[in-house]
Amino acid sequence: MLYSRPIMSGPRVLRRGWMTREGWRDTKAGLWAWLLQRAAAVALVVVIVLHLQNPFLRAVQAALLALVLLHGLLGVRAILLDLGLPVRWHRALFAGALGLGILLFAVVWSWRWY
Amino acid sequence: MVLRVFRWAPGGAERYQEYPVTPRAGMTVLDALVEIQRGSDPTLAFRYACRVGMCGSCALVIDGRERWACRTLLAPLRRSLVTVRPLYHFPLIRDLVVDQEPFSRKMLAAGATFAPAEGLAAFAAVGRDTAERRRVDAAIECIGCGMCVSACTLVAHDERFPGPAALNRAFTLQLDSRDGGHAERGTRLRSEDALARCHGQAGCTAVCPMEISPTDSILRLRRRAILALF
Repeated sequence: MLYSRPIMSGPRVLRRGWMTREGWRDTKAGLWAWLLQRAAAVALVVVIVLHLQNPFLRAVQAALLALVLLHGLLGVRAILLDLGLPVRWHRALFAGALGLGILLFAVVWSWRWY
Repeated sequence: MVLRVFRWAPGGAERYQEYPVTPRAGMTVLDALVEIQRGSDPTLAFRYACRVGMCGSCALVIDGRERWACRTLLAPLRRSLVTVRPLYHFPLIRDLVVDQEPFSRKMLAAGATFAPAEGLAAFAAVGRDTAERRRVDAAIECIGCGMCVSACTLVAHDERFPGPAALNRAFTLQLDSRDGGHAERGTRLRSEDALARCHGQAGCTAVCPMEISPTDSILRLRRRAILALF
């Protein structure tokens, strides 16, 4: 059984086996921030299509709001780091983006708009 | 405690071999590997030199994280089964030993070598207390252990990406007034497969034993590249 797959033919080069527990052990916070933002982008495409088909479905509205907040706030985190905020803050910015997202979702979703 | 060690030799299959170890106070993973090699299994191959956390040659992936074996104590790992693997993204030579040649090759490809400025005849020092020195101070202590390259997720997907160590070195040179290769190196850094490819996941920063942040160096180089457009 291969524990990780070689990158290409030629010399044997190992890389993390993403299908193994060992490959995911000690995965860094920055990777999760990156992965979540990309996953939210892909999910947004699906949810926007559903929302255009029927804008009154509450579950789809909730999913759309959650995904927009997640994707947008993680994007703001990346921009802030690009603009020069210290890299050592990247975990705190990740936690801040998630926390702010949950807070904004709760505020918007519990607001009586009508 | 059991050490679960990656084994491979050219022509053979990858496998793990388990070795029982009795941890003593202050015993490191390197101590355990040496004990295994001298005792139960002389065929086990691994690399080390200084044994005191200076050279970086014993860098391994221990329990899923890049660490140097000589500075990793067994006791705090708090696991009955500790997995030991070679670094990722380097060609395997045998067991835990990898070939560091791509590391040097990528350094050269990224222009991460000092190019003396034309006309610079005498030895030119950058003073310890100068602003120029302070700007690169945090990035100059790289020992070339390769842990950042192993932890970088992008290295696996883009063969042309220089990797964190080479880009960190390039950063120190781009800010070095004695270096004459800024323009050529800058062109290489602005190419499709260099600075722009980093995803900023900071895996390299998390594992660097010298507490260097290649991510920070890459982001600084990116800002310089953008500002140079105006």
